[in-house]
Amino acid sequence: MVKNVDISLDFLGVHFENPFVLSSSPVGNCYEMCAKCLDEGWGGVVFKTIGFFIANEVSPRFDNLRKEGTSFVGFRNLEQIAEHPLEENLRAIKRLKENYPNKVIIASIMGQNEKEWEDLARLVTEAKADMIECNFSCPQMTSHAMGSDVGVNPELVKKYCQAVRRGSKLPILSKMTPNQASMIPSSLASIEGGADGIAAINTVKSIINIDVDSFVPVPSVAGKSPVSGYSGKAVKPIALRFIHEIHSCPELKDVPISGIGGIENWQDAVEFFLLGAGVLQVTTAIMQYGYRIIEDLTDGLRHYLARHNFSSLKEIIGLATKNVVPAEDLDRTFVIFPKFVSEKCVHCGRCVVSCFDGGHQALTFTEERKVVLDKKRCVGCFLCANVCPVNAIEKGEKVLKKDLGR
Amino acid sequence: MKEYLKEKEGLTPLLAQEEAARCLLCLDAPCSKACPAQTDPAKFIRSIRFLNYDGAIDVIRINNPLGGICARVCPTEKYCQKGCIRAGLDRPIDIGALQRFITDYEESSSYKALEPAKEKKDRVAIIGSGPAGLTAANFLARNGYQVTIFEKHKKAGGYLTYGIPSYRLPNEVVEKEIKHTLDLGVKIVYEQEFGKDISLDSLFVEGFKAIILATGYDSPRMIPAFLNNPYVETAVDFLSRVKNCDGKVALPDNILVIGGGDVAMDVATTAKVLGVKEVTCVVREDKEHLPASKKEFSEALEENVSVITGFNVKEVHENKVTFVGSNENITLNYQADKIVLAIGQKPSELPLNIEFDKDNLPVKNYQTEIKGLFACGDITDGDKTVVSAIKKGKEAAIEVMKFLEEKQNG
Repeated sequence: MVKNVDISLDFLGVHFENPFVLSSSPVGNCYEMCAKCLDEGWGGVVFKTIGFFIANEVSPRFDNLRKEGTSFVGFRNLEQIAEHPLEENLRAIKRLKENYPNKVIIASIMGQNEKEWEDLARLVTEAKADMIECNFSCPQMTSHAMGSDVGVNPELVKKYCQAVRRGSKLPILSKMTPNQASMIPSSLASIEGGADGIAAINTVKSIINIDVDSFVPVPSVAGKSPVSGYSGKAVKPIALRFIHEIHSCPELKDVPISGIGGIENWQDAVEFFLLGAGVLQVTTAIMQYGYRIIEDLTDGLRHYLARHNFSSLKEIIGLATKNVVPAEDLDRTFVIFPKFVSEKCVHCGRCVVSCFDGGHQALTFTEERKVVLDKKRCVGCFLCANVCPVNAIEKGEKVLKKDLGR
Repeated sequence: MKEYLKEKEGLTPLLAQEEAARCLLCLDAPCSKACPAQTDPAKFIRSIRFLNYDGAIDVIRINNPLGGICARVCPTEKYCQKGCIRAGLDRPIDIGALQRFITDYEESSSYKALEPAKEKKDRVAIIGSGPAGLTAANFLARNGYQVTIFEKHKKAGGYLTYGIPSYRLPNEVVEKEIKHTLDLGVKIVYEQEFGKDISLDSLFVEGFKAIILATGYDSPRMIPAFLNNPYVETAVDFLSRVKNCDGKVALPDNILVIGGGDVAMDVATTAKVLGVKEVTCVVREDKEHLPASKKEFSEALEENVSVITGFNVKEVHENKVTFVGSNENITLNYQADKIVLAIGQKPSELPLNIEFDKDNLPVKNYQTEIKGLFACGDITDGDKTVVSAIKKGKEAAIEVMKFLEEKQNG
């Protein structure tokens, strides 16, 4: 039992009882949904993006990428922002705050012009939201005056952040799109415009499956489909890269980041913290498994902190940042040879196949199905260990290249 | 609870994907070296893994015309799954189930792995439409030979149709599998018994250039003490009687099965499935050397068949049998309403001037001492299993083709 590990977090001046909140998406679409998730233990919600624009959605609207027996490797959705009337959403936000005063209610907003952004900021402030998140990043809006088309234009981002700042004194998060080479220009523009923190990442523009018999991408809406947002486990590496980019940027290093992208378990979460994120947002894993995943997120995080003797979450934020370095800064003087643990090896030969076809032809397979390493050929790439189904290949001897005559 | 006419459900696409994903995709995979019929599971499982189901059909069907049958009845634990490396982690890949998934998929698709040959070569007669005869016919037909199978029963398939219980192998599966061979142009004529309706001479005169005998082990073995006993039925007779009327037979409350092979397990499980209260199998071998496959044995146990190992028949008096234990000290008296003898089969007498050697017809490269007369299946040396019959049918077809080509050229 690890009852006494504190996983609360102060973020943009707001206290979160735990760092996990719903991201602005189908999982937080109405009062009942948000109330249920808060009852189950989530630290807060980012209510599904609201605006004067009311979305008219399609059917069907979701698809997932599978690999072998595994579903939801990645997830694609076509939903835009809230489908309920603005007044109803504002009432829901107000009621949530009234009934859950200790939870954090974040209002995600999206306007079509400066006036709408400012008005929305004012309206959600009046509804007693704790924080505002500006959605500059939805990649499947039916209007190009909204969503990720705005988010890749730093001037617009700055202008709209200024509008939001005029409409509210609440802390402002600016939610960024990964559909750009670098997030720095739009993140800097956000802060210059008055945002207090960055939320990243929104979904990645994608086409994940095409029906090869009808030639229509999935989901097919009357035989057609757009490019739309990709999320879930598969985007975690992309999200982590952007989190790192922002946190390691000198002008942005002190800007709080809300991490989003493929978080399913405490380990994913810790990775985001280690690269500099604070409050974390989740959708896809909830769509697949439900709000109950919060139990293992919070509990797993407590156990992790206890195992490492950390007394607060704050201590681990950014711990890995310094270990991400440019490729040119790596030590290239040595080779580590793989060590084959014979008690674990099941003699399948997968390492041999991959070493030849994807590596350096350093492994051979004997008649007795034993793996033999030729150190003259081995470059220590560890593709063998990556494909081993039983983790029977460990790091062995480390040798300087000069001693090997390389 | 098993139903006699209902085989268990096959894998769904999801479960098949999951099972294929368990496969380690070994280099030089042991499973692919273990099949008597040379099935290459490593290759078709890889095809399933990479969603190439038509390719998986090719791998199975081109090599084995009865792939859907083998998927259901082969004792895989003794062959492909025995070498499965995944077993070192938890349990072997269920290769039979994956093979069934693909052959079931094949039935629902329009894809055909085999096409009729364009050319027309010599005529070949095959006597017997069991697995060996069907396989030989399939390989000959796809190579252009005109094949006629002579079958003594009303239906084709031999033991597949008349022996293996419906819950393991429904007749519609056998019929569909045979159709693959018929679609290649093979003809079957029914109720033609060798030595009665047809003879070697009549077939040669009719224009067949080669004849393959694949009459199988169609005669039950007997223990002399049980001869002319009204309580006794042989396993082959019992199974075919039950299968012929779709399990609608009246059976007594208590059946004693003597024997411990797959056929004995089939009899015992069938009896249980059909509602017989007490079914006891008494087996000569001890448990470690039980001839039945693990799968069949455990299915029998699941149906609450009592299996007693290590006892030999000592005396028989009507429906009372006395067994003696292998250490000679213990005797077991059993009184049954019915006794089924499942101690193996042997070939029937053939109207030929060739002597069987220990129940095997002497052949050299599947050719008998009579020129143009070949033999395969159970009546030739080797294992008496479906998969072994398929192997022999395939090899015999190749020998027949060599023989006919040489004849043509020389």
